[in-house]
Amino acid sequence: MSQYKAMNAFQALLSGHAVSRRAAARALAAITALAALTACGGDKPEAAPAMSEFRVALLTPGPISDQAWNGGAYDGLMAIRDSLGAKVSHIQTKTPAEFEENFRQYGAQGYDMVVGHGFEFQDAALRVAPAYPNTVFVCTSGNATAPNLAGMNFAFEEASYQAGMIAGALTKSGIIGAIGGTELPPVRASFVAFERGAKFTNPNVTVLISYLGTWDDVNAGKEQALAQIARGADIVFQNADAAGLGILAAAREKNVLAFGANSNQNKIAPDHILGSIVIDWPRALLQVAREVQSGEFKSTVYQFGLRANVVKLVLNPKLASRIPANLKARVDSVGDAIREGRFHEMDDVLRPADKLPDTTRP
Amino acid sequence: MNRALAPVLAAIARVAVLLAVTLGLLVVLLVTSGYDAGEAMQAMVRGAAGSWYAVTSATLVRAIPLALAGLAVAIAFRAGLLNIGAEGQLLAGAAGAAAVATLAGKTPGAYMLPLVLLAGVVAGGAWAGIASWLRQRFGVLEVISTIMLNFVALNAVGWLVRGPLQEPTRIYPQTEALVPSLQLPVLLSGSRLHLGVVLAVVLAFVMWWWMRATAGGFRLRAVGMNADAAAVSGRINVARVSLFAFLASGALAGLAGAVELTGVTYALYESLSPGYGYTAIAVALLARLHPLGVLGTAVLFGALQAGGNAMQRDAGVPIALVNVVEAVLILLVIAADRLQDVRTRRSITRTDDAAPSLPGNAVSVPS
Repeated sequence: MSQYKAMNAFQALLSGHAVSRRAAARALAAITALAALTACGGDKPEAAPAMSEFRVALLTPGPISDQAWNGGAYDGLMAIRDSLGAKVSHIQTKTPAEFEENFRQYGAQGYDMVVGHGFEFQDAALRVAPAYPNTVFVCTSGNATAPNLAGMNFAFEEASYQAGMIAGALTKSGIIGAIGGTELPPVRASFVAFERGAKFTNPNVTVLISYLGTWDDVNAGKEQALAQIARGADIVFQNADAAGLGILAAAREKNVLAFGANSNQNKIAPDHILGSIVIDWPRALLQVAREVQSGEFKSTVYQFGLRANVVKLVLNPKLASRIPANLKARVDSVGDAIREGRFHEMDDVLRPADKLPDTTRP
Repeated sequence: MNRALAPVLAAIARVAVLLAVTLGLLVVLLVTSGYDAGEAMQAMVRGAAGSWYAVTSATLVRAIPLALAGLAVAIAFRAGLLNIGAEGQLLAGAAGAAAVATLAGKTPGAYMLPLVLLAGVVAGGAWAGIASWLRQRFGVLEVISTIMLNFVALNAVGWLVRGPLQEPTRIYPQTEALVPSLQLPVLLSGSRLHLGVVLAVVLAFVMWWWMRATAGGFRLRAVGMNADAAAVSGRINVARVSLFAFLASGALAGLAGAVELTGVTYALYESLSPGYGYTAIAVALLARLHPLGVLGTAVLFGALQAGGNAMQRDAGVPIALVNVVEAVLILLVIAADRLQDVRTRRSITRTDDAAPSLPGNAVSVPS
């Protein structure tokens, strides 16, 4: 009975009606109980961070469950935690307003290194960096620099060209597809490289390129991949983070071949993924973090590609037999050319900063 | 009990109950997913209200676009128009403002900043005008047209930042950053709180006064309560009032976009809005469409989001958990309004707080 009365009072309060004093008291008791519940365990003193502690934060534009761009960077953050004993923090952010807010919060908390994971973070980083001179800001795919701001650049197009060579040679229909999240400069450059690689081994190949307008919508990725497959594409290249998982699902469903991107995705669909363009995030992020920790940080755009052994095409061993030996040899010879700085197929597409030689280990 | 105070207390009690249920649910979610609820809630409170900086630069900065867009939703809903398109109108406003800012060149005069904001108002109003025209010319339901126009606006912004409005190096999908004379002044040095907060508060009071004390406000409310009755009264041109409400709603949402552009992001991006226009619907409903209430609920949602960010930063709790809780809060708001509807019908003899129903009976609004 009293339960019923409390419910009634609760309903009345919810609907904004005036209520009897007794009913109000009951509802108030309920609120107090909830408030007590929320407060429980909340009286621990805030631990002041030791001054010597090395602290690193990562801002990603999407969920780290994508097994690609964001998940890879998170792996890098974990590597920094485990190898350098750093205290780490991660946050998923969506809008430029949030980028700036969180950069400032980390700066105010005295973090040593804050990584904005994508070129879209660099305007906010440029604005915030002068206010927090003791924090090093790093933007991946960024080319902006300041005394405490560096860019990290990944030559995704090198391995994309190699993937294109394989796709062009292996397609039976003569049609291959490439699907991106949104049309960002590195993605566009990578697709141009994919197309040129494909034309290099198969001048008559048709490359379908489409952008989803989202990096998160798995279903949109799948729909777009199914559409390309319906138009005859029998190999699909993708760079779409979480949405890319939908593309790989479509490839599995329709039994066509695909490529993984940003992390080693070969195991996601081992019978359909020819290989993945892997960025070795732990290696790249650890290198920059080490320099920050030891005070050797340089305000520059760090270059990572095949030569630094950070971005590379990792073939899926299960499907290795599909790639003829002579094709493999051609792909490898392009890889050698890239390592030796003799590869210039993409020079007209790249930003000036992208053409700098790879940063190699000191 | 003081008669004038009673509705205020009731409103506060209502928000408190909803908030308590929401936070309680958050704690349950935290505990069941294995997080330290105490640490997480502490981080949340600290991030939303723990310091002067958190209040001014995190919570209030987020509340500004929510308040302006919330007012936009409130004025449309009050007129019986279910404008779900605040998001699109906000983006149109931001795009319009960015376009004028680009045209203004490198050394714009001081008079250009108001013009940039005005461009946002006009663009947002025009975007809403499309839905209004579709409604009045072809009878297209505004729920459908406005939500569809949201996607059109989002993709149009995507095209603009890769086409006519792209920054001069033509590399990044965004406009050039605004020159300082086109940026809204920061109110408190060392914080991010900009002049937009004054705009939001002033507009809320103007709207409140206008709704209560003017013939135009009365006509708008009359149309919202019962368009047929307003029409047969012979004194109210329903089509005109609806058009006005639509344009005013779009203008307010457009201003929200222009203020976000000139006050926070300083450039047009595709991802300018994290869905302010959608959250604004909850902001307006939780405030029972009351303009001054909107200010309060906007701050509440701003605090929830700022706190959610801090929870992820300092306690490692994924932001998705906060989004779930926010969505539940919205459901609770709607459920509470339905409850009110049912109770009103049960006690039909009570006339002091009879609530009219919106088309489709989706939500109810106070008179």
